[in-house]
Amino acid sequence: MIDSGLDRRDFLKVLGWGGAAAALSGCGNTSIEDGKETVVSYVEAADYAIPGIGVYYNSTCAQCDAGCSINGRVREGRVLKLEGNPASAINRGKTCGLGQAGVQHHYNPDRVREPMLRKGDKFETITWDKAYALIAEKLNGAKGEEVAFLSGGVSGHLKVLLGNYLASIGCKNHYVYEALAPAVARAANKKAYGIEMPRFNINKAKVVLSFGADFLGSWVSPVHFSQQYAQFRKGVDGQRGVLIQVESKMTLTGANADRWVPVRPGTEGILALGIINELGMASGDIAAAVKGYDRIRVSKETGVPPGQIDKIAALLKLRSPSLVLAGSAAEGYAHGSQNAAAINLLNHVLGNVGKTIEASSSVTFTQMAPAKGNTAALKSLNDGLAAGKYKVLFSYAANPVFTAPGALKFKDNLAKADFKVSFAHYLDETALQADLVLPLDSALEDWNTQVPEYMAEGAQINIQQPLMEKLHANTRGMGDILLALVKQRRAEEYKSFDDYYAYLRAAMLQNKGALGGGGADDDTFWNDTLTKGIVKLAGSSGALSGKASVVGLTLPAPSAADAQYPLHLIPGVTASLRDGRHANQPWLQESPDPLTTIVWDSWVEIHPKKAAELGIKEGDILEVTSRSGSIKAQAYLFPGIHPDAISVPLGRGHDALGRYAKGYGANPFQILDAVFDQETGELAMHETRVKVSKTGQCVIVVKDEGSAGGKQMGRKIAVSMSTDEVDLSKEV
Amino acid sequence: MSVNNLLENWAQFRHFHPVDDKPHDPYKWAMSIDLDACTGCNACSVACYAENNLPVVGKEKYQHGHVMHWIRIERYWDESLGVAGGGDFPEQGAQFLPMMCQQCEAAPCETVCPAAATNHTADGLNSQIYNRCVGSRYCSANCPFKVRYFNWYDYPTTDNVWPAEMNQQLNPDVTVRSKGVMEKCTFCVQRLHAAKGTAKNEGRLVHDGDVQTACQQACPTSAITFGNLVDPESKVHKQWQSQQVELDKDAQVKDQKEGGSGLRGYRIFEELRPYPSVMYLERVRESAV
Repeated sequence: MIDSGLDRRDFLKVLGWGGAAAALSGCGNTSIEDGKETVVSYVEAADYAIPGIGVYYNSTCAQCDAGCSINGRVREGRVLKLEGNPASAINRGKTCGLGQAGVQHHYNPDRVREPMLRKGDKFETITWDKAYALIAEKLNGAKGEEVAFLSGGVSGHLKVLLGNYLASIGCKNHYVYEALAPAVARAANKKAYGIEMPRFNINKAKVVLSFGADFLGSWVSPVHFSQQYAQFRKGVDGQRGVLIQVESKMTLTGANADRWVPVRPGTEGILALGIINELGMASGDIAAAVKGYDRIRVSKETGVPPGQIDKIAALLKLRSPSLVLAGSAAEGYAHGSQNAAAINLLNHVLGNVGKTIEASSSVTFTQMAPAKGNTAALKSLNDGLAAGKYKVLFSYAANPVFTAPGALKFKDNLAKADFKVSFAHYLDETALQADLVLPLDSALEDWNTQVPEYMAEGAQINIQQPLMEKLHANTRGMGDILLALVKQRRAEEYKSFDDYYAYLRAAMLQNKGALGGGGADDDTFWNDTLTKGIVKLAGSSGALSGKASVVGLTLPAPSAADAQYPLHLIPGVTASLRDGRHANQPWLQESPDPLTTIVWDSWVEIHPKKAAELGIKEGDILEVTSRSGSIKAQAYLFPGIHPDAISVPLGRGHDALGRYAKGYGANPFQILDAVFDQETGELAMHETRVKVSKTGQCVIVVKDEGSAGGKQMGRKIAVSMSTDEVDLSKEV
Repeated sequence: MSVNNLLENWAQFRHFHPVDDKPHDPYKWAMSIDLDACTGCNACSVACYAENNLPVVGKEKYQHGHVMHWIRIERYWDESLGVAGGGDFPEQGAQFLPMMCQQCEAAPCETVCPAAATNHTADGLNSQIYNRCVGSRYCSANCPFKVRYFNWYDYPTTDNVWPAEMNQQLNPDVTVRSKGVMEKCTFCVQRLHAAKGTAKNEGRLVHDGDVQTACQQACPTSAITFGNLVDPESKVHKQWQSQQVELDKDAQVKDQKEGGSGLRGYRIFEELRPYPSVMYLERVRESAV
């Protein structure tokens, strides 16, 4: 350390513990020599090869950002199946379908295998040395401000290394973009509770009133919330929790509600204020602010019957604590932040803050904390590209050519960057536009640390480690690539790390005292960490600080009818396809959508009454037209949608991404208008208005549902009873 | 035996397990599924694809009804929805039901197999012997639950089912089936075998919790319970017992009590007397909203 001329502070930054010096153990045992040791290949084939016997390795699921810990079964050197790791407080041994399909990401036949350079319309294979040299050359010809790096959500040491690399090339333009991030929720939570992502205790609530938060399907940490939901249903003292879901299009969570309340799109906030008014529990400013929202007016504006508002208010009053959630369906409007503020106010009025909403723990190492994606980042990147600001653009773990709203014309603007580098697992739509494509190791081949945004209990750092040898010789881990790139600029600081593994190990060992390994020797601590796959930390628990406030809370009147585009378009977010990055995993394509049971294709959900009015029947190919474009998809008559809205699921409609994704379905991202939330600048995903017309074509909808259309015809297959007929406390 | 004799004394001839002289001992695998916990998320189904080498058939074959999902989520709406006098919206949500082979004790599929390819094991599974199956599909026709799946194609050699690399994911503990045979849920028999082997080596019986089916292990809400029904310590035994559901009865206490029994446990199509090994717990909906 002294030889290299680095001082201690720089060294901390290199390894990711910057900003948290207090949590570091004494400097006596920071041993740079560890990084110099000969690193033994980390996937010892001999270790795996016990014929006929499966061995299990802990790692972290990379299919979404929730950070579920997984336990991979490996036999004869091949990973076969992923199970949940019971030791994780997030998923407690459970997995979702998306997580199960992680092996199909790894074994996907359409992975990129070689670095490729664009030559005219085609790509040709080049070597890694040439690729790195080319990047260095292009960066030498560009100033720091002419370089931009686009990534999905990143955390842990990868984020550290990325930050250090960007600093080394003088680039301050790191855009973190996730198409479906809960960015409005974060801002609204920060205002209402003082924390962006507090802990939601669904299991402690007697009533959950959710405004479009699909916490069982795709919202924030669904596997964790699903477990809480199971406890919530069993109830406290045998009193079963009641779920009320308010939304314009039924989500998986809505499908499990005791009462599903269809609301006129965009009026969720008005209903929340109406409930506050009906509760009569507020005083002062709040009471004054909600005074105008009497049940008759609210009913007229939201389409929810007055009697329903009464019942909801009565139940909330009777059963405490409750929990009110604001989800993406309520937040996807130009007044989305206002909707969320009105909904969060309910928690204050009901006294839920501090009971079912608690301060969450966070990792004290701010350098490693997740860089959270949003769509405002996409917009500013797009503006920069349109202005021709960037000569070099890197992209990693984001596919904006597919997910950017059509109105932004992202693909056209992307072409204005001279040199585009894509770090890619597959040739997706964005990689196809790149000049240089660098193939990545799969999530089951790569090393990493991951810090989840939503912490279930305490704080944790998750370990991602290879479950088997690399399938393809010429792919590289993202960490290894960044290390090679940062060495181009700061060779001296990173020379002791042969690869990302050495870096990661040195980084973890340097701080083992704070990571619970104080006293243990390095090898013991490291092996223990890898065995567990999770580093549990005390973390720092911020306090809830937000106050109930109606300052600045103004809800617009319900939007007027649009004669030209009479219907609201609700982009459906499904649990398995999300923003479409996993659409090339065939298990997910063939896994029926829970609500419509449709497979392998997109559809347009339309209420049967609306369909009758427009003369539409199931299977009609509809053209859905917005101000920004049009798509075609088959009609599906769906009772769980407001008649003023239609819904098309996101995730399908790829024209790249491999054999299982390309050519299946339509992409509603393409027709989204560029309307943004006024407060946060986030894309208002539900603001797009559309019209539908029949094309005259008709197909047979490929689905699991039978010809009875979801009716049991009196056969009593799936049976239901009411709470007053059963006493759950007596059950096993 | 004349047909008349057979019909008149059907109860006597109809064979179901456990028979008096051969009770289930020491194992009887059974399941219970809490429909109030099931959210319909499909994790079980994908986990089953991963564990049991189920082929992905693609859109066209799916349309032809060739899908191979051993466990599927059935989605139902309220009977009153959209009909005269009923509502326009599913105000109580949807109703989801995971459906897989019910491992019937008097399985209708077994009696019709011309090759005796499907039969009953001593531990209460309805097993399928692939290399004995001749593909008559009588079993599927006779299954009231429609949970048997036929290999219309040779999936291992079909394009894009298991192309290179994808085939490396196949579970070596489970046969890859070929064209012309019937297949279905096995209660993850390969896991049961492994657990029984381990227990035997240790000179004991399989304890509750030693073995989980793939669907049960994945289920985010722990809606699925699986275990040995004749082990009084097992959760599945306790659940069946507390719900007063008896394996060899065709009507349960729940159905007989006037004015409701407060019980939730039931078996599907019990009146057909297949004596299923899967008990469902009714979904509950709040009456106050």
